[in-house]
Amino acid sequence: MYGADVEQIAIQLNEDPQKLADFEARIARGEKIEPGDWMPAEYRRQLIRMISQHAHSEVVGMLPEGAWITKAPSLRRKLILLAKVQDEAGHGQYLYHAAETLGATREEMLDALLDGKAKYSSIFNYHTTSWADNGAIGWLVDGAAILNQTMLARCSYGPYSRAMVRICMEENFHRKQGQEMIILYSQGTPTQRAMVQDAITRWWWPTLMMFGPHDADSPNSGVLIRWGIKTRTNDELRQDFINQLVPDLQACGIVLPDPDLHYDAASKNWRTGPINWDEFWAVLKGNGPANAERMAARRQAHQDGQWVREAAAAYAAKSELQVN
Amino acid sequence: MDTQWPRYMVFQQEGPDQPVVHNGTVHAPDAELAMLNARDVFVRRPEAVQLWVVLADVIFTQTQEELSTTASINRLIDADPPPAAGRLIDFYVFGKFTQQAQCRHVGEVQATSPQAAVQAAITTLADKQPLWWWVFPVSAVLKNESTEAEPMFSAARYKTFKDQAEYPVVTMMRALRNQKANQKDTENTK
Repeated sequence: MYGADVEQIAIQLNEDPQKLADFEARIARGEKIEPGDWMPAEYRRQLIRMISQHAHSEVVGMLPEGAWITKAPSLRRKLILLAKVQDEAGHGQYLYHAAETLGATREEMLDALLDGKAKYSSIFNYHTTSWADNGAIGWLVDGAAILNQTMLARCSYGPYSRAMVRICMEENFHRKQGQEMIILYSQGTPTQRAMVQDAITRWWWPTLMMFGPHDADSPNSGVLIRWGIKTRTNDELRQDFINQLVPDLQACGIVLPDPDLHYDAASKNWRTGPINWDEFWAVLKGNGPANAERMAARRQAHQDGQWVREAAAAYAAKSELQVN
Repeated sequence: MDTQWPRYMVFQQEGPDQPVVHNGTVHAPDAELAMLNARDVFVRRPEAVQLWVVLADVIFTQTQEELSTTASINRLIDADPPPAAGRLIDFYVFGKFTQQAQCRHVGEVQATSPQAAVQAAITTLADKQPLWWWVFPVSAVLKNESTEAEPMFSAARYKTFKDQAEYPVVTMMRALRNQKANQKDTENTK
């Protein structure tokens, strides 16, 4: 469909051909689309879908690591983890804001998450079973997220692009603290080395799945690339990630859980064995190791905050009465 | 279940010589809590000397695309009551000047309506034609007092562990690789 010319697409999407052509010309010139500007309904729908999923991922992403704050092995690591989890909360807020500029309300997005209707990144439905998992999440999971977000920082929609620039800056701290932790433990005591090896073994494949299905199985990619929301495909980003991470992890003495992993000198790429997509779809459909637990924790947190919201609203109402 | 609180736009000034720029929004039941939320969401790192919060509903915006259509221009003119009918209000004028930039403070104008304020901005600030105009009444803004800046923002300054430069991972990886290479050399010469 999206290899087709503008007129055909305009007919299929029921949009004004001239407006669509002007819109696509703006994107081709590298202009940002701002909230007041004309945009196809499908562009708006795709952005709301992507940005709200992204926001939910930040919010749910606080849970796997948040559980370790009270168990951090040193004050420094505790401060780092606290700041990191707080950043994720802030990133969720930046992104809900970007989605709101498209007409979605924060309330309906939060309700969709709490009702279990909204999707978020499959990666957060895995358990964090040891302290080293925080290092693996920082280096692998946040590293993968940064590649995706660096691309999105160049996307055609102004508010999403600007949120991403800010998020990428902060995520680099997340990635580097994780990498530092893994490097240090990988050169540490036998127990620390075993802990790091175990963590990477468990997080490696789920991280590769984070980039999403192969290009051939990715139904939204065509339109997202045509309109400059995405500028690179899932497989391209995944390959970049593998090429960056494999040599560094191997230099740490870590063995990756993939007997088929090899370097292809002709293409200068590291090649992995097949990804278990059945696992990916199962986790996405709600049957991952921790889906139920994550949603229960999220609902509990929302419920526990109820009295704070009520108190704030009561205070605001009272002040307004006094003013009037 | 919950009712959605109003949306406040958040503006931030990173240093005394920097312009006030738009950052994002927070939801809050009143401006005071909006200010506290804004600090937590947007100033987890030290780059702030001033925060502003403004109800999103009072901000009037016009993109270049909107202004380029005759209908929009007519809308601006039609909506503007004759000057005698209205009281002059002070408006802040913000603009987005490059494709990548956020809206930043440009100046102030006096006008009887937001639409008239955009017109006044186009005339009086004509050397700077932005891609996107924002105007709102000066009286609608809550700002932190300058004496509040230190207690509100300085705590973040000492949290250097939030800075990626604190983690010399590139140097650490290089050291690791050199160490491995030296080990290999030693093994080879044995």
